Amino acid sequence: MSDTAPLVKIEGLHKSYGGVVKVLQGLDIEMKAGDRVVVIGPSGGGKSTLLRVLMGLEQIDRGSVGFGGKPYICANGNGKTTIDAKVRRSIGMVFQHYTLFPHLDVIGNLILAPMKVRGEKKAEAEARAMALLTRFGLAQKAKAYPAQLSGGQKQRVAIARALMLDPKLMLFDEVTSALDPELVAEVEQVILQLAQQQMPMVIVTHDMWFAKNIASRVIFCAGGVVVEDGPPEQVLGSPKEERTREFIERVFHIKH
Amino acid sequence: MTFDFAIVLKFQHALLLGLWTTLKLTLICILLGCILGFLVALARTSKNAILRGPSSVYVEFFRGTPVLVQLFWIFFCLPLVLGVELSNMASGVIALTLYMGAISSETFRASLKSVGREQLDACVALGLSPWARTANVVLPQAVLRAAPTLLSNCISLFKESALVSAVGMADLMFVGQNISNNTARPIEVLTAVALIYFVIAFPLTRAVTVIEQRILKRLAV
Amino acid sequence: MNYSFDFASVFRNFGPLWDGLLVTVELTIAANAIGLTLGFGLALLVMSRFAVIRLPVTLFIEFFRCTPAIIQIVWFFYCVPMLFNVFLGSVTMGILALGLNLAAFNAEAYRASIQAVPREQLDAGVALGLNPFQRILYIVLPTAVRNSMPVLLTNGIGIFQQSALVAIVAVQDLMYQGKTLATQTYRPIETFTIVALFYFAVSFPVSQVVGYLERRREALAS
Repeated sequence: MSDTAPLVKIEGLHKSYGGVVKVLQGLDIEMKAGDRVVVIGPSGGGKSTLLRVLMGLEQIDRGSVGFGGKPYICANGNGKTTIDAKVRRSIGMVFQHYTLFPHLDVIGNLILAPMKVRGEKKAEAEARAMALLTRFGLAQKAKAYPAQLSGGQKQRVAIARALMLDPKLMLFDEVTSALDPELVAEVEQVILQLAQQQMPMVIVTHDMWFAKNIASRVIFCAGGVVVEDGPPEQVLGSPKEERTREFIERVFHIKH
Repeated sequence: MTFDFAIVLKFQHALLLGLWTTLKLTLICILLGCILGFLVALARTSKNAILRGPSSVYVEFFRGTPVLVQLFWIFFCLPLVLGVELSNMASGVIALTLYMGAISSETFRASLKSVGREQLDACVALGLSPWARTANVVLPQAVLRAAPTLLSNCISLFKESALVSAVGMADLMFVGQNISNNTARPIEVLTAVALIYFVIAFPLTRAVTVIEQRILKRLAV
Repeated sequence: MNYSFDFASVFRNFGPLWDGLLVTVELTIAANAIGLTLGFGLALLVMSRFAVIRLPVTLFIEFFRCTPAIIQIVWFFYCVPMLFNVFLGSVTMGILALGLNLAAFNAEAYRASIQAVPREQLDAGVALGLNPFQRILYIVLPTAVRNSMPVLLTNGIGIFQQSALVAIVAVQDLMYQGKTLATQTYRPIETFTIVALFYFAVSFPVSQVVGYLERRREALAS
């Protein structure tokens, strides 16, 4: 992969549910390896669906997604979608509702995929898991079960679990929306830490403060298309598009 | 009217033998029935209509008819259909295994369904293969969730096993009824037999409640 | 298999089977009448603040739930007449035995659903100025009955199946008529198959209704 090739290249992406509910209607996005993209927009505007498509969780109607210069997801036209499972493995995702495995303890959650997907030895995976947990301040919770953790702790474990596979891109789907307000900061801290290490990421969030702090680029998505795309100062500060301005004013409660 | 509960002690050996038959029958059918039930649950949830159809008919039929009728059918009709003599024990095992298979398959099916979509999404995001997904994520959670209801199913089976007395199998119920008839002391003997069943079943029903609470706590995410 | 089927000889004796089915249905309906009413009363008693009431009722319920139905029925038929010097006719005895059994199971269903009525609902009742009796009548009872409906129906159809047990103590229900007919005609396969189908034809639709109610509730809850 050359330095100039984009990390993610989305072309003409269309996605509907049952052909009736059109969620994505022709998205074109290019993402460079250094980008930290925050996607904002009204509910139902296709933000979460975009992330789910990037994770390979959804079938698409039309279009394609390339990753690292290689084809990743492609609509075949006959309603089938081809997803390259190998490419998919280099992407990690964290969900709104944690989705930790409740029957496994914290360390069990972290080492399952490395052992089953990469055939890593248990001791080796556990050592890496402990290092990650220590970094995230969760070392003393290694033997706890998800039900014994707070929401913030669960979400940090979920991030650690995704990082165990050394992803080249991280997707965060409203990861703080289900949290009590006082627990939001600890999760955002962890994501900021990753940003400092130049981890490429796509973040869907409603937290505009967080968006401003972490984004290298903000995309405003509405009605299944990209309305505005630019640096955070522009999109969040002085948007060019009327629809973006309306949305930003509403969420910041700005009255002119 | 005078009671003479000492009479029960005179027959304790016979009653214990009957209890042993009851327990043996119950345990064998729990084991075989759970295996059958799990396979049937998989068949009923499969995409293949050839597997789904017959397994659904089997479950609905065994849940929709009295166990006593099933027992009579297996004892009196199955030997005619197969053209071979079946021992009492064999017939009892077949009948109660089929019953246990039917009720436990519903338990397994519900627990398989209870593993949420989000868990499967997480498996995809972690790159787990379909096999690892089933073996390491779906199955353990399904078994945990099934455990309390499965134990209830076992208690039901233990109670229903008393029906084999009606077709002449010498279980606890049969022995008790015989003693009761021969001694003309039904109050003492039948009460004692009922107590024996109660002493075994009651602690198990308490265990179901405890296990249920523990598992719900563990899986509450 | 060298057994030649002869369903005709069973259909010639359709009369007794039909009479048997009527007795079975009678047992079921009467037992459900007892089970639904007595069960609710037991559920209220079992939640009583006073141990003197709570403990005996708990014991009664647990005893019926933790022993085989067949021994309850045999016990009832042999021991009740001896203990109380009464015999009320075999169908009545059957109804009482099955009804008490069902009451115990229904009491559990009612109790679980009464305890599942959220506290806030009662708080709202207090806030609206309802007195304790009105709160039970207008808030607890409707919610509890609606929530326990699937289990009550399942239990009700369960007693329909359990009622076959009274054949053992010579009540002339469907099972008893089937047994007699099988012996008289030497046609066990045909007879027991038809008897099984009779039971199935009643049970299956009810269990489908229960399934529908439960799915609808899940859909409404989500």
